[in-house]
Amino acid sequence: MKPERTPGRYIREEDLRRLPGVIEYKPVARYSYSAGQALSEFLRGLKEGRILGKLCPSCRRVLVPPRVYCEFCFIHTTEWVEVPGTGVVETAVVSYIGTARERLEKPEIIGVIRLDAPGYREGSFDFAGLFHRLCGVTEDDVKSGRVIGMRVRPRWRPPEERRGSMLDIECFEPVQP
Amino acid sequence: MSLWKKSRVVDVIHVEGRMETEKYVYTPGLAGVKVAEALIEGKIMGVRCGGELYIPAKTYCPDHSEGELVEVRGPWVIKSYTIVYEDMYGEKLDKPVVVALLGIEGARGGLIHYVDVDPDKVRIGLKVEPVFKPREERRGLITDIMFFKPVEHS
Amino acid sequence: MKPNIFVKDKVAIVGAGLTLFRRRLLETPRELAWEAAREALNSAGLTLKDIDCIVVGSAPDAFDGIHMKGEYLADGSGGFNKPLVRVFVGGGTGVMVPAVAWWHVASGLCKTVLAVGEEKMSHAYPHPQGVFAYIWDPILERPLGPNLIWIFALEMRRYMHVCKASKEDIALVSVKNKRNALDHPAAQAAANITVDDVLKSEVLVWPVQLLDISPVSDGAAALVLASESVARRVTDTPVWVEGIGVTTDNTHWFNRDLAYPRYLEYAARMAYKMAGIERPWKEIDVAEPYDPFDYKELHHIEGLMLARRCEAPKLLREGYFDRSGELPTSPSGGLLGVGNPIAAAGVMKVAELFWQLRYEAGARQVKKPVHKAVANAWGDLMQVGTVVVLST
Ligand SMILES: [Zn+2]
Repeated sequence: MKPERTPGRYIREEDLRRLPGVIEYKPVARYSYSAGQALSEFLRGLKEGRILGKLCPSCRRVLVPPRVYCEFCFIHTTEWVEVPGTGVVETAVVSYIGTARERLEKPEIIGVIRLDAPGYREGSFDFAGLFHRLCGVTEDDVKSGRVIGMRVRPRWRPPEERRGSMLDIECFEPVQP
Repeated sequence: MSLWKKSRVVDVIHVEGRMETEKYVYTPGLAGVKVAEALIEGKIMGVRCGGELYIPAKTYCPDHSEGELVEVRGPWVIKSYTIVYEDMYGEKLDKPVVVALLGIEGARGGLIHYVDVDPDKVRIGLKVEPVFKPREERRGLITDIMFFKPVEHS
Repeated sequence: MKPNIFVKDKVAIVGAGLTLFRRRLLETPRELAWEAAREALNSAGLTLKDIDCIVVGSAPDAFDGIHMKGEYLADGSGGFNKPLVRVFVGGGTGVMVPAVAWWHVASGLCKTVLAVGEEKMSHAYPHPQGVFAYIWDPILERPLGPNLIWIFALEMRRYMHVCKASKEDIALVSVKNKRNALDHPAAQAAANITVDDVLKSEVLVWPVQLLDISPVSDGAAALVLASESVARRVTDTPVWVEGIGVTTDNTHWFNRDLAYPRYLEYAARMAYKMAGIERPWKEIDVAEPYDPFDYKELHHIEGLMLARRCEAPKLLREGYFDRSGELPTSPSGGLLGVGNPIAAAGVMKVAELFWQLRYEAGARQVKKPVHKAVANAWGDLMQVGTVVVLST
């Protein structure tokens, strides 16, 4: 049976500690990330409680998050267009772990929101959308699937707490009928 | 046609961030374990591949065959060197540091290490020898050798 | 159907080798590359002297914790005084490696290529998921404090919704692959488990649970690819690379429907066209769809057009994808069973098809006669599809 040989010396965590020549190293690199032209304006919009997209003059899609180019037509986008911020939940999950896989005290609900924006056909494969927390929905809403297709809108932080960040939107919450 | 000509130039926002992790723990590897054990004994290893001796020691040879780890003994000589005046943040060091590529007669490759020598006296061909930390402080790392120093004329 | 590109040399795989897959091997990354490369060369009856060019694949540098991993891995992969290229498309790397090796030979540039995939994920503490944080967009995504599993969970949830697939349906993939891996000598996560075990395992990001995911692994895998003239000289049973396909979908992953892997369909169409395959669901005999998560195997079976959309869960229940089934998938045990040293895992899948097509897989050999096979991998932020079609 192939493979006939599988070289490799397995080492358990406790045995690793006994080996000579083990190196530990903590890297920290600091960055100042440029948000670039389109996202800088987008972040300023968030601070004002507005969700901004950019219009492609060719296919007429309003791209959210905005970019300076339309990747479908590969040309510059032109006008800024404010979208209402409402939309439907495309998919949602419940996270019990944080970034480094630590258990969270309180699970979080995260989703992708298909935003109401001009230029897209109903149910199209590509859409304007954001990735954010969901609030006002339960774990059971996620597991049962009730949350998918639910109409939502952003819950904004109070203006004085906004920093020009994705977190100026606290979460997306159901639109009460 | 450049981008800025067609787009409205806005004030660009910058977001502070960092890339870090709690730590990396690197395993020494097959040859690395033996090299580490040797350092603790105050020895420096190379690898013999056919008729050639290579430094530093590795598991495998240039032709991909498995090499034979052997101790290499001096005298070490400076094959090239540089004098460092600033630290990695561009700050002036109190005292310049000599970093050298060190080799031995008849071996290929070499080690990079500090040499404790007056920058005015350093030269290619200078004979040097390793100065190890006290045995109980050695961890099987290249820093078990504190530095090399010129061989005393006797 | 004619190939859609100019091909100077037909290309065959003539050797394959693997290291163990484990969470923590003593070897350094370059030693792992060396071990796998040696196994592959030995299996082909070749030495490094016979190799013209080197292709090395490795996923983010942050996993091994060494920048410029391509250069770092070069000498272990046999790459000095020779052309070497490092390939990196995230999880898609493993199948990109043979695809790029194919370019080198098919173009006539090299007669023989040593293609190596390596990953050492045990270096990062407390868990490599922490270093995954830096693949997210720093403006739009990182502020939310995401864990990488979020996006896969979002995709799985969408697939379940659109295809009306249950958690039980999806868990069956993990059961099948971990069972298949019991016969794989390199396997890290082989086990006889039940659907219930999967559903009772730790919930990480619902719907994703611990046993829905492949493990954290160290390992390397290598292939030797050769032009037709060399291949016929060194072996009586070359395995031909008949088609390759690569596609990158929209990087704005939350601007597209996650229920269907469009990136894979496009890559697969490219590869099938080159291979002259018109009805993959009938013509492909055995497949290694990329399975870092259990739902991904179903997703990819559909993207590879081996089943109709949303049909994979039903076929899986019927045993269609078992080793004894009509279209065995992941007979190796896949990433879920053998392990997931990222770039090495995709190469391992292609190696498995190489052994299957030569009837050398022993206890893992599928029951039916095999002639054509397909493998895929997937990566970056869920948008890269890489496909290789093999035949005897
Ligand atoms: Zn457009």
